[in-house]
Amino acid sequence: MDEGSSGNWMWRHPKFQELTSLDVADSSQLYSAFLVYLDLTEVRQWHEVTCKSCDNLQLIYFEGREGEGAPLQLVVPVQCQRLLSHQWLRSVLSLVSPDGSPHQSVLIVAVASDSSLVYHRFTDGFVTPEPPDHVLNTGKRSGRRKRPQV
Amino acid sequence: MQQPSEEPERNSECSAGTSGESTAVRQHESTPGGGVEPKEPLIQLYLADSVPLLWRSAHVKLARERLGVVGAAVGSLARQPRQNCRLSRPVQLLWEEARFLLENGRAELVKALKPQNYEQEIQSYAHYLERNHEEQQTFALEEKKQVLKRVMEDKCKDGASAPSSIQSVKGSLDSLESSFKFPCSAVMVQLCTARARFSYTPEERLWLSAELANPVDERQKVRYRVFSDLREKGYYLTSAGKFGGDYLVYPGDPLRFHAHFIAVCVPLDKETPFSDYLSLSRLGSNVKKTILLCSPSQTDANYVHYTSIQWSGMV
Repeated sequence: MDEGSSGNWMWRHPKFQELTSLDVADSSQLYSAFLVYLDLTEVRQWHEVTCKSCDNLQLIYFEGREGEGAPLQLVVPVQCQRLLSHQWLRSVLSLVSPDGSPHQSVLIVAVASDSSLVYHRFTDGFVTPEPPDHVLNTGKRSGRRKRPQV
Repeated sequence: MQQPSEEPERNSECSAGTSGESTAVRQHESTPGGGVEPKEPLIQLYLADSVPLLWRSAHVKLARERLGVVGAAVGSLARQPRQNCRLSRPVQLLWEEARFLLENGRAELVKALKPQNYEQEIQSYAHYLERNHEEQQTFALEEKKQVLKRVMEDKCKDGASAPSSIQSVKGSLDSLESSFKFPCSAVMVQLCTARARFSYTPEERLWLSAELANPVDERQKVRYRVFSDLREKGYYLTSAGKFGGDYLVYPGDPLRFHAHFIAVCVPLDKETPFSDYLSLSRLGSNVKKTILLCSPSQTDANYVHYTSIQWSGMV
């Protein structure tokens, strides 16, 4: 670990070097992107993960499949403290997949300073949530919490 | 649904004129050429300072069932004033709801009267209570006399009663005038819960007419454009203050459905830390609703961009 920055395995990782060679992002964004890449490939075992870049948005992103034959998904790493506008999110949603059609939804990965990751799905338009089924059952539970009287 | 022409309150409105002449009911022309569309009365929005209120049940019903404007009941129930679980009229509207009704020509604004010096009214009411007390006292005294007389007659007829008991009844009957007390707490008071002529003459109407302030800042403009767009899409909206958003978006009447979305209105180019989106998304998933980022388009005045945010559940 104390080999110094030049000897850090991360810097020597071929994927990290590939990300660096895209030359669109600063070092902190490179670091976030690399963490997301490792999470997708090593932890989640995604398939066909390829890294892409967008010059206009100064952005590194990934495309991959959750399993074999699963639909292609767009994964965008973002640092938690980064300032973003809705317009920026719309631009990310308009990034096109290899077959030329825009992605309907994007997984944006928030990378916190402690390198923890969380995935949120951003979709164009209205996505109706799952019906709250369990709410129907709570009425019959004996230990139901009583609503405080106002 | 009850047709507006059959609404009972229409009659009271017609008899509003003090001189006895009836005032014409102002109606909304649905079609400019006066076509076959059914006519609906204008909803009266009472403006208390800057808060738009609906007072009439017919207007509340019309706004909710026909126009999808829900509002929130904020008044107390006449018979249960010491609770706030179930509320009644007036119905308070969001500024956007009021503006939506006005811009669609479905409502007119009326200034709510400001609290005045009601000294005179209070005095005359106190006099009325006093008079009422006296009247009721007379009646009560009369009634008591009748009762005592009847008791005495019964005792006399009976013959079996001791003369002393007859004497005591007679004594109390004689001293009744001086000893009778009718406490104020025993007075029956009429509480009026309805008013026969709850309306205004045209002159009053003109004097009371008011205007809703135009959107003062960018945020209000954004909120209104999002509100009117979502309403035109058929969604019902209520305030989402307690969910940390701008509107709760229902697929139908809020009494029948859970809200599907928490709408958060943001200008398209406003930059916010990504952690803010994270907290919204987490909050949405906690209450099983989708967070809906809503931003009016900067190029097309009639278009609003919507982006749904959901926690992916990938852990």
